[in-house]
Amino acid sequence: MTITVILVLGLAVGILVGLLGVGGGVVLVPALAYLLHMDQHSAQGTSLLILLPPVGLGALREYWKQGQVDLRTGILSAAGMLLGGYAGSLIALPMQARHLKAWFGCFLMLAAVLLWRKTQDQGVPATPRTEQNSGG
Amino acid sequence: MGNVPARDIGIFLAASVCGVASGLFGIGGGVLLIPLLGLLFAFDQHRAQGTSLVALVPPTGLLAFLAYAKAGYVSWHTGLLLIPGIFLGGIAGGALAKRVSPNHLRRVFAAIVFLVGAWQAVVALRH
Repeated sequence: MTITVILVLGLAVGILVGLLGVGGGVVLVPALAYLLHMDQHSAQGTSLLILLPPVGLGALREYWKQGQVDLRTGILSAAGMLLGGYAGSLIALPMQARHLKAWFGCFLMLAAVLLWRKTQDQGVPATPRTEQNSGG
Repeated sequence: MGNVPARDIGIFLAASVCGVASGLFGIGGGVLLIPLLGLLFAFDQHRAQGTSLVALVPPTGLLAFLAYAKAGYVSWHTGLLLIPGIFLGGIAGGALAKRVSPNHLRRVFAAIVFLVGAWQAVVALRH
């Protein structure tokens, strides 16, 4: 039973990863905590385990075919995230689980606002390849 | 052409901030990286999403993961069972994204994420 829940959860998270390009973690951490009753630290640690193999590779292939990939930026970002990630874990591990959960909740709200805001930008004509900036 | 080093440094710094969030909250960081690429570096939405997926191909969470694993905060059983579903679902979602405009969906998703976040924060602080 639990195994079925886990398999279905994985599939659902994967569809969101491909569709919206968001990392699965933002969905996985709350799902692991509430559906599988993990504590906050374990939910986060398990989410990091899932993100180790390139789970987004299949989705990436679809974007690559459309020419929607900036390889240079992607590689630079990966380097920054590797180092930043270590710093973040050093902050999180000594924290109390409930404080960490509260911060995670605040982070989710911030992420939601950013996601929402992005949809409003869609109306603006995009010029992806030029560097021009229409200075606010 | 316009690959100014300053822009590269900016991208690296923005990604480092995403990395801190990644280690702090156990997430991939794409949820932060995509809007930052869009808002700071004028990426359109699809390109930001595709580029974020590149950043998530190498195991960027490796150092953070090792720290969590050392502290005993990793459930291998659950984690390994989730991986195939996420991979297959990712292919389906990526193919679907070409056909539908995910705008509406993104808003619904953002609303759900916001509510989950608010709920989690309130529950944690009341405890």
